[in-house]
Amino acid sequence: MSIAAEQLPAPRRFDLSARAVAAARHHLLTLFAILALVYLLLPIAVVVAFSFNDPVGRFNFTWGSFTLDNWANPFGFPDLRGAVVLSLEIAALSSIAATILGTLIALALVRYHFRGRGATNLLIFLPMASPEIVMGSSLLTLFLNYSIPLGFATILIAHIMFNISYVVVTVRARLAGHDRHLEEAAMDLFATPWATFYRVTLPLIAPGVLAAGLLAFALSVDDFVITYLVSGSDQTFPLFVWGAARVAVPPQINVIGTMVFAAALVLMFLNIAFQWRRSPKGAA
Amino acid sequence: MMDPITRRELLRRAALGGAAVSLPSLLAACGGDGIEGQETTTGEAAGTTTVSQELADQLVIANWTFYIDINEKTKKRPTLEQFKRDTGVSVRYIEEVNDNEEWFGKYQAQLKAGDDIGRDIVVLSDWMVARMIKLGYLQKKDKSAIPNEENLQDALKSPGWDPNRDYSLPWQSGLTGIAYNKKTIGKVTTMDQLLTDPKLKGKVTFLTEMPDTMGLLIAAQGGDPENVTDEAFDSAISALQDAVDSGQIRRFTGNDYVEDLASGNVWAAMAWSGDVAAGIDNPNIEFTVVDTGSHIWTDNMLIPNGGDVFTASTFMNYVYDPVKAAQIAAYIYYVTPVKGAEDQIAQFDETAVGNPLIFPTEEMLSKTFIFDADAADKAEYKEKFQAVIGA
Amino acid sequence: MNFFHRHRALVPYLLLLPGLAWLALFFVVPMYYLGYTSLQAGDLFSGYTFAWAWDNYSDAFTLYRGHFIRSLEYAGVATLAAFLISYPLAYWIAFRGGRWKNFLLLLVIAPFFVTYLIRTLAWKTILADQGFVVDALRTLHLVGEDGRLLATTTAVVAGITYNFLPFMALPLYVSLEQIDKRLIEAAQDLYASRVKAFLRVTFPLSLPGVFAGTLLTFIPAAGDFINAELLGTPRQLMIGNVIQSQFKEVANYPQAAALSFVLMAGIVIAVLLYARAVGSERVTAGTAA
Repeated sequence: MSIAAEQLPAPRRFDLSARAVAAARHHLLTLFAILALVYLLLPIAVVVAFSFNDPVGRFNFTWGSFTLDNWANPFGFPDLRGAVVLSLEIAALSSIAATILGTLIALALVRYHFRGRGATNLLIFLPMASPEIVMGSSLLTLFLNYSIPLGFATILIAHIMFNISYVVVTVRARLAGHDRHLEEAAMDLFATPWATFYRVTLPLIAPGVLAAGLLAFALSVDDFVITYLVSGSDQTFPLFVWGAARVAVPPQINVIGTMVFAAALVLMFLNIAFQWRRSPKGAA
Repeated sequence: MMDPITRRELLRRAALGGAAVSLPSLLAACGGDGIEGQETTTGEAAGTTTVSQELADQLVIANWTFYIDINEKTKKRPTLEQFKRDTGVSVRYIEEVNDNEEWFGKYQAQLKAGDDIGRDIVVLSDWMVARMIKLGYLQKKDKSAIPNEENLQDALKSPGWDPNRDYSLPWQSGLTGIAYNKKTIGKVTTMDQLLTDPKLKGKVTFLTEMPDTMGLLIAAQGGDPENVTDEAFDSAISALQDAVDSGQIRRFTGNDYVEDLASGNVWAAMAWSGDVAAGIDNPNIEFTVVDTGSHIWTDNMLIPNGGDVFTASTFMNYVYDPVKAAQIAAYIYYVTPVKGAEDQIAQFDETAVGNPLIFPTEEMLSKTFIFDADAADKAEYKEKFQAVIGA
Repeated sequence: MNFFHRHRALVPYLLLLPGLAWLALFFVVPMYYLGYTSLQAGDLFSGYTFAWAWDNYSDAFTLYRGHFIRSLEYAGVATLAAFLISYPLAYWIAFRGGRWKNFLLLLVIAPFFVTYLIRTLAWKTILADQGFVVDALRTLHLVGEDGRLLATTTAVVAGITYNFLPFMALPLYVSLEQIDKRLIEAAQDLYASRVKAFLRVTFPLSLPGVFAGTLLTFIPAAGDFINAELLGTPRQLMIGNVIQSQFKEVANYPQAAALSFVLMAGIVIAVLLYARAVGSERVTAGTAA
């Protein structure tokens, strides 16, 4: 529906007076941007609204009546709690591991000159450039060939793997902007690389590392495709939703979805507020 | 490994140890309750089995949706609650089977590797049971714990793929026919209507279960679904392909057709007999058998490797009590395989007495067929069918 | 401590080792096994063994060519649509957002924080045959009386567009935001037309974001199967649907692996060409936001 509506802001009308074009474009652009935001947020509104639904039957797709029961009892559906807990465990462990591994790589890439830089960049880039279904299926073939039992460990391995690249890219972007001379000066002063790392480098990259960790956490919580392929009988939250899409979609799914969404929003708001106070500029 | 070691994990590792020795019987041995080292020895003669005679704390059952009684208000399942009261075993009941092939595919890698999949009982259709027995993924049940098995309907006692019922015990039988929304489309009673009625374009779903979809199509074309020939199969396949290409068929589904039917996205669907009564709260949706031939099938309780044989067998015995069987049948409206349930059903639901969906009439049964067991899992047919339903 | 002083040249390698080893072990090595599995033959009952079974590949091209082509088409259209929606939006936020920039950006990323599958299920509700959107379109005679949105190509492509839109919008925003406003002002003075200034200066400067966004949207879109599964019919199934069903339903691992390998090879070749043309650091740099 929106596909029909989208167009670049009328670049063809320059026979009109420049001012009229500018004004028209100004409003067209604003109108368009608002429409685009509505498109982006409409499904979210539906998700939130349907968390208050008391559906007829077992599929929460059509509106029944308003209720607060789902919120009073967010885990009131068998196995949902276990799935959410597993998702959080995997996300916590994988984001920590990937953040450490990825930050080290980013440090090496930004702070040092070494042979094999191109190959390293390629290896970081490829996982981001691979469709998830390929990564998932290739991991599955590895596990199958060695008869490695599918479950918690295999999910964790996969999540760390796909998170590393995103961490590297995020941390590197933050690192690249900082002044190396600070560290060099520190090296002269403290003389040991560890002291330099703890007292200068770490505080410098901390915001980037934190952002990378949160990104990794979010990617992990949301991952479906790779997890689906390597999970065996263990079930993360997205896998639960997938199973539910076939046999029963309880409104509790929307409750959990809304909670995750709200938590992420709060975190982002704090981040923005923090940056606002520190400097008026800076991307989220 | 960073995961906390749960009982299941221990079992899985025990089972994995067995896999290294690569003997299916050893795997079964680890299955029962590997930690305590209780043994499952498989008797040679009539499939007699001696297993641990101790009940586990929890029984995990994987089943299809709309397949057990449930109290819509409390969301509790009376039969399972009573089972807990009577035996002390709590049941974790997972509704995860939507389609035989899909369930099998999900666990195939683990079953092959000899891992415990964390399910003590799973309910699957006849042809899939045959496959799983052949692959050695199942454990024999403990017949000594199932005296009520004598209540099994005679007709179901000796299927070709498990002549002594060593591995399987029917859960329910049912019919595959057509469910339709009489308000939006009126009566839909023939396969021809499903395949070609222009009013139903994009408003029809078929089943992903090959025996259901192909069986009904072959029967509708005058072929014999009990002895499938290549010609009959190919001709039915091309009719199906045409209906897909024309956009007549909206989706191929498992149990999930219920959702599309209830929401009005779909007006007519190939359906399983009990679902309309148990799963759809809409008086406009009706179920009918098909005059040209409806499929009658049976789903069976099975104990996958790693499952607790004694506890699972105890549960099987429990639901083979005619009163329990009647309680379940009165809710789910499928054909109960338990003799004597008919006499007990009045106490649960007056209207269920003599209901042909639960106790099919002779006239109804005369319109049914049992799909050719060999054809049901024939690789060549499967491939052709998969290619049409997509993926 | 002394170790680091004496072996400074080793430090970067020590930093790289754990992470790269992980990637090698669980990204590169699995690719080998994917190839290995794809050449196996056999069946479910006798098991699959390595046999140089190239027919898995010929099957991939003959039986599933339609799925491959459809995947590329849908991914292409979705990428274009995502670009056409994102660019004005990103432009608006970057140049008109002012103080609200970060907040607006947050709204763009927001959908990302609702689980992918839940978002897609929400579209199922929105587009349902009896839903309010179809009702409204029927009233406006934009769809026929018995017309529908759910279970159509439009629904699948729209779903893909929606789900990967943040991947397009973010890099675009980052590259637009970095442009020095004085450059644009100078260009407007020079060309005396905002449109010309946009085409000659702003757009070229945002190209790294366009490149990165295109990649980050197209690649996952080409491998997607969730939208086709939930919003489509058998006629919309993509190669991802085939791969997942061959792996997780039919358990025909060699065929699934061959299909996966073809998809991977195609995308890697395309990406390498693309990265060579644009420069790999520039492509990846755009992805950090």
